[in-house]
Amino acid sequence: MKRGSDFIVGAVMLGVTAAIVAATLWLKETDIRGRDELVARFRDVGNARIGAPLVIRGVRSGRLQRMELVDSWVHVRFSLDRDVAVPRDPVVILNESSVFGEWQATVTERSALPRDWDVRHELDEAAGLSGIVPGATLPDMAQLTAVAARIAGDVASLADRVDTAFDVAAAREMRASIKNFAQMSSVLSDAARTQSVNLGEAARDVRSGVRSLLAASDRVRDVAARFDSSTSRGEVRHIVQDAAEAARQLREASSRILRLSGQLDTAQATLVSVLAHSDSVARRLHAGEGSLGLFLRDSSVYFQTDSLLTQLRRLVSDIQSNPRKYLRVSLF
Amino acid sequence: MVARAVEAIGRVARESVEGLGRAARFGAQSVAASRDVSIWWPQTTPQALELGVRSLPIGAFIAVFTGIVLALLASYSLSGAVPLYFVGTLVEKTITMELAPVLTGLALAGRVGANIAAELGTMRVTEQIDALETLAYDPRAYLVVPRIIAGSVMFPIVVASAMLVGVASGWVASVSLLDMSSPEFVKGLRLFFSGFDVRYGLIKAASFGTAVTFVGCFSGLAATGGAGGVGRAATRAVVYSAILILILDAFWAVLLLTGREPA
Repeated sequence: MKRGSDFIVGAVMLGVTAAIVAATLWLKETDIRGRDELVARFRDVGNARIGAPLVIRGVRSGRLQRMELVDSWVHVRFSLDRDVAVPRDPVVILNESSVFGEWQATVTERSALPRDWDVRHELDEAAGLSGIVPGATLPDMAQLTAVAARIAGDVASLADRVDTAFDVAAAREMRASIKNFAQMSSVLSDAARTQSVNLGEAARDVRSGVRSLLAASDRVRDVAARFDSSTSRGEVRHIVQDAAEAARQLREASSRILRLSGQLDTAQATLVSVLAHSDSVARRLHAGEGSLGLFLRDSSVYFQTDSLLTQLRRLVSDIQSNPRKYLRVSLF
Repeated sequence: MVARAVEAIGRVARESVEGLGRAARFGAQSVAASRDVSIWWPQTTPQALELGVRSLPIGAFIAVFTGIVLALLASYSLSGAVPLYFVGTLVEKTITMELAPVLTGLALAGRVGANIAAELGTMRVTEQIDALETLAYDPRAYLVVPRIIAGSVMFPIVVASAMLVGVASGWVASVSLLDMSSPEFVKGLRLFFSGFDVRYGLIKAASFGTAVTFVGCFSGLAATGGAGGVGRAATRAVVYSAILILILDAFWAVLLLTGREPA
């Protein structure tokens, strides 16, 4: 009985111990046949931890085994799965692989790197030791949040400046100016319309005068011809020819005046259209329609915008100082 | 009146300290008795069989249901922005570091603690302990030391098997009941796994085993007054064991987890 119980106890102990050790090795992806090793050096390893995956062209090919401080560098040892070929001229990039604090190391060729001056500079700095691959670390969420906080600060500062330069009185003055501009454009439009009518009438008068002159010239020519035929010296003919030349020049002048009148009509139409559009825009602004109209008409919009920027700045600062407040994983 | 109140306070304080003192003396005598290896060694394996091997089914039973419930709870809690593979992470961390040791410990406090207290209490009230002393046997070396050693060694074995069963059942539940593939669950398992998780759970389990068997032996040997006394001793053993398990759980958490870098 005692030997039997000894055997059962021993077998259970050995079996459970072997199972738990095997499970642990499997979960840690330990290869008992041994693995290749890759050593990289970084200025900073961010939030990378032991066990972080090593990825080659998107395929998990190893894990972070050890980190040690050497002078002003961090030497990081990665275990590589067997039969995995490291790219030529390799570099290692540490980066956050998700917003949940997971980091991974990516092994890639130097030529496949993105055109990021900071990363390339960091890699150039880390290069130079034989057998050690240069590494660089991409900024994590906290750093990006810090940049966002700085941008929010700048926006708030800009809002302060706008607040100083463009207060309620300035908005009121601008509204009055636009109202005046609308009135002025209306007056201009009326004046242009009146002048256009006057010009049209003048052109018609000129045309009628020219026609009368031509008729008179024709009659003079007829008279002159009859008169010339009764004379032999031809002097009268010269006088009549001069008169005809004068009439021709008058006709050309009349045509030019007509063309000018046509161009004036077109210009007047364009001016009327422009002024009508300006008038419409000014009326809408004055009526407080559209974004700019609201901004000018309703000072609360400006204050709300300013308040929004201030709240955004506070939110970004709060996220930066208390990230766990906004990112929580609940178990139960 | 005032004098009686002060007297009552003093009595309660004395009795509390007295209990601690008796337990400390009992512990010291048990350690001293462990020098007599020839007496306790032959008794250890049968006790290991009784306290450990025969407790494996109850540990596995608890772990199966804990793993299933935990996987479903985790998926329920993580629905939304958090990826589903974190179910594996939560199942692994929670089972190995907390639920397998504590739930198994509490279950064994009932099974093992009460068993030891009732057995030794019955021996005490039927004067079998006195008979052993008459025969020049040290009852601590013969009865207490093998039980405490068996408990300390076998509790981690039972808890380790509960860890394996709990994680496996969580895995099966995740794949069959949730919209989750096996590689996803394994990815979550491996994501933040550290050998420390298992060591931490096993260290706690060993301390729970020591505490449960010690309290069971102490209560049993202190039993008085027949069958009623034996029943009270068994109840006391279970209650004190459960309280000690929770205190030790907090103690190990403070000692081993405070200031430790996450995996």
